[in-house]
Amino acid sequence: MKIDDQKIRNIGISAHIDSGKTTLTERILYYTKRIHAIHDVKGKDGVGATMDSMDLEKERGITIASAATYCEWKGHEVNIIDTPGHVDFTIEVERSLRVLDGAILVLCAVGGVQSQSITVDRQMKRYRVPCIAFINKCDRSGANPFRVISQLKSKLGHNAVAMQIPIGLENDVQGVVDLVSMKALYFDGDNGETVREAEIPSHLLEEAKAKREELIDAASMFSDELTEAILEEKEVSADLIYSALRKGTLQREITPVYLGSAYKNKGVQPMLDGVTYLLPCPSDIENVAIDMDKNEETVVLNNDTEKPIVALVFKLEDGQYGQLTYIRVYQGTLAKGSTIVNVRTGKKVKVGRLVRMHADQMEDVESLRAGYIGALFGIECSSGDTFTSPDVNLTMISMYVPKPVISLAIVPKDNKSQVAMAKALNRFAKEDPTFKTYVDHETGDTIIEGMGELHLDIYVERMRREYGADVSTGNPRVAYRETITQRADFNYTHKKQTGGAGQFGRVAGYLEPIADTDFVFENKIFGGAIPSQYIAACEKGFKQSMAKGPKLEFPVTGVKVVINDGASHAVDSSDMAFQAAARGAFKEAYLRAKPVIHEPIMKVVVETPAEFQGSVMGLLNQRRGMIIGSQDEDVMCVIEAQVPLAEMFGFSTVLRSATQGKAQFTMEFTLYRQVPQSIAEKIALEAAQNKKTAA
Amino acid sequence: MQTISVALKREKNIIHLTYKDIVMIKKEMIYRNPLVKLGYDNEDILSTGGFGAVLAYAGVGKTALLVQLALNMMLREHSVLHVSLNDAVSKVDLWYQEIFHDIAEKFGIAEVNEYWDKIQPYRFIMTFKVEGFSAPKLEERLTDLMEQNIFKPHTVIIDGFRFDEAGRGQLVQLKELAGKYSMGLWFTVHTHRHEPPQENGLPLSFLHIADLFEVIVQLATKGDEVYITSVKGQPKNSAQNDLLLDPATMLIKESQ
Repeated sequence: MKIDDQKIRNIGISAHIDSGKTTLTERILYYTKRIHAIHDVKGKDGVGATMDSMDLEKERGITIASAATYCEWKGHEVNIIDTPGHVDFTIEVERSLRVLDGAILVLCAVGGVQSQSITVDRQMKRYRVPCIAFINKCDRSGANPFRVISQLKSKLGHNAVAMQIPIGLENDVQGVVDLVSMKALYFDGDNGETVREAEIPSHLLEEAKAKREELIDAASMFSDELTEAILEEKEVSADLIYSALRKGTLQREITPVYLGSAYKNKGVQPMLDGVTYLLPCPSDIENVAIDMDKNEETVVLNNDTEKPIVALVFKLEDGQYGQLTYIRVYQGTLAKGSTIVNVRTGKKVKVGRLVRMHADQMEDVESLRAGYIGALFGIECSSGDTFTSPDVNLTMISMYVPKPVISLAIVPKDNKSQVAMAKALNRFAKEDPTFKTYVDHETGDTIIEGMGELHLDIYVERMRREYGADVSTGNPRVAYRETITQRADFNYTHKKQTGGAGQFGRVAGYLEPIADTDFVFENKIFGGAIPSQYIAACEKGFKQSMAKGPKLEFPVTGVKVVINDGASHAVDSSDMAFQAAARGAFKEAYLRAKPVIHEPIMKVVVETPAEFQGSVMGLLNQRRGMIIGSQDEDVMCVIEAQVPLAEMFGFSTVLRSATQGKAQFTMEFTLYRQVPQSIAEKIALEAAQNKKTAA
Repeated sequence: MQTISVALKREKNIIHLTYKDIVMIKKEMIYRNPLVKLGYDNEDILSTGGFGAVLAYAGVGKTALLVQLALNMMLREHSVLHVSLNDAVSKVDLWYQEIFHDIAEKFGIAEVNEYWDKIQPYRFIMTFKVEGFSAPKLEERLTDLMEQNIFKPHTVIIDGFRFDEAGRGQLVQLKELAGKYSMGLWFTVHTHRHEPPQENGLPLSFLHIADLFEVIVQLATKGDEVYITSVKGQPKNSAQNDLLLDPATMLIKESQ
């Protein structure tokens, strides 16, 4: 490759929905000459922004799938992943963060740090992604970048420091003052493509000096040389400031903040300079893998292009030319014709076509070296798989995947739709580990599971649009679970000795609740009351029973089974007989173990103008919500509550009408909790009715 | 405490909590009320409408002590409104969870999460910006909660109140509020090293409002140890012992 490692940046653009990150990406691509015209997200020209390549994204004005693209800026190669902003798609965000070295946290100059920004920030912390911030939408009425900076400090705990001050805000937004070079920057030309340096307007000079002092003060924490220069009152060079800031940024100890308005073409180029000056290159970041041959020991990967290949698949997409596999190379060089192994399946594959993506256009390349992001064609794999050279057996640490909390039955209208639906589901399940699908054997319905209403909604829409599958959907169903609350003994004999081959097996022992795990089986049989060859059959029988609880047929979790006695028959005992005995024993003891139903509880965060605080709390309370607290922030108020998912359907509509559309909320799964008795009875009634309908 | 942990640990790693067990644990934990040991005879310590204060320098453990007091209330099924003027809701919540887990660990209670779920509804956190907090604002928020039957506090904890800036007027208003809604109010009071205590142990800047307070305790470090001393409101016939805090967990030390 033509560029050395120091000049590569793999960055993500993460933010709250509607803070304008897709528009920002669009401008970046324009200024880096990857595209030659600008389209808006919800454009009147019907084209839509370049990164929103799916029709649905263009229509809804949101980014669903993170398209990867690359561009060049002042001798640096920048790979950009555009990430979705809605919480239901956080698996996409998490996958992107996993492969990135740095990020731009985009914030709205009016809305500031909102609840989704907090979620995104938490994810960045989890993967230790260094970031710079860009306060966008400075042209909007009510824009106040310094309030956002103070929120970055108070709400997210960032040591945020302004790199610029605005020249004009709201309608009057003109440019920025760069506090490092102490120059005013204006953006001329039809699309702001020419950056013009000028002297700082006199009315801003004092403020600029004060803010520069703050900036240098913050930077000096990371450089002795800079501290020395300040103490000795020497000239402080831009390089010295940038190198100190870079050090702090890489340690996540400081967050440099840039300002502008992507929509009005202001401030994007200086932020790109910031990306090259302050965000890490691949070799600045330590990446680790697990060595499967050495007892899962962690191995630090080396950005060396000569070493064996280690690469991670972080996204699959069904493109015009077949499956496109997005991949990041962490070590070695992935070249056309080289042989790689999928560590999960052990299958060897030969690398065919290699491309670098630019939203939905692509460019063929001969090889991808360590630190690069690109895509492969025609490779069978799942998202999250690791590919390596045949001589190593390393896997990248698996990503945290939350379990689905909501399900929906989908029914195709005709045969053609059925085929298209199957194809679509297969693809979605591969692309998104939080999206699951199965067939309910009793009702014959195809069930899809996911992380929220919108999550499933988007997939159903995609099925219709991209695959032409005409499907109707049932009501969303909550993933309830059953568990037991006390110990119960069993002593069950399965006996069928009336003609033909007989069946005999007796198992005795007890069930008891266990926390933090789904199922534990313990064999405490001494003296061969059950011959050892049948113990596995017993375990299998109990495990089978866990799939559908005898109480309401929800999956059972948190059960420990201990067997301590039993009996067998020399001729009539078999694996099958002991499995049946175990199932019988489970059923016998289960109802005596006081089973209860657990339901998913969501953490709901509502941001509302303070005047609606009372009514929002009332809404949450009516929904069996437990309000953890409320946070007053000037005119806004943030309410945090735990609410059962079952009560959250349609909440957005109710919230909108109660707050004149001024409040917004996010929700994410937090824990499972026991359902109160009155609700449990209602659920039992519904389950019985469903069963009747199915029959 | 010993007997309980033995009684509960019927089997290796498995503890079944029955209702009786929970009642017992509650009793045990109630006895740990950090301030009752200073000799206060009333479990609630404050009378209805009364004010209490915990004085200390920054970082000595005022919040930790009041969180223990709040947990004690919650265990006795009394509702606590925690008003923080410094921290975000999530941080305050973390204080409670950490201290509750520490206490639970000390008592060998296994099903901590289940138990936490049971007492958590007795707590409500409100955070304000210092400059945005006032008695009328608190009353407005309280009415929102009470009118809809969402929450009615028995005790209010106000953490981060600026005594030096607020003046007596604000406190008098809060006192009226406490009386009106029959609540006890606890405050953290940040004292300064540059301000030596007066004869009665109180800093000079606190003297003009000290009469509004029924109970005042002080946290002070001596060497590596943190002592809790009663400054005001301790019954006359009670033992005048200081309590010792474990600086690692901020819980009352066992030997005390």
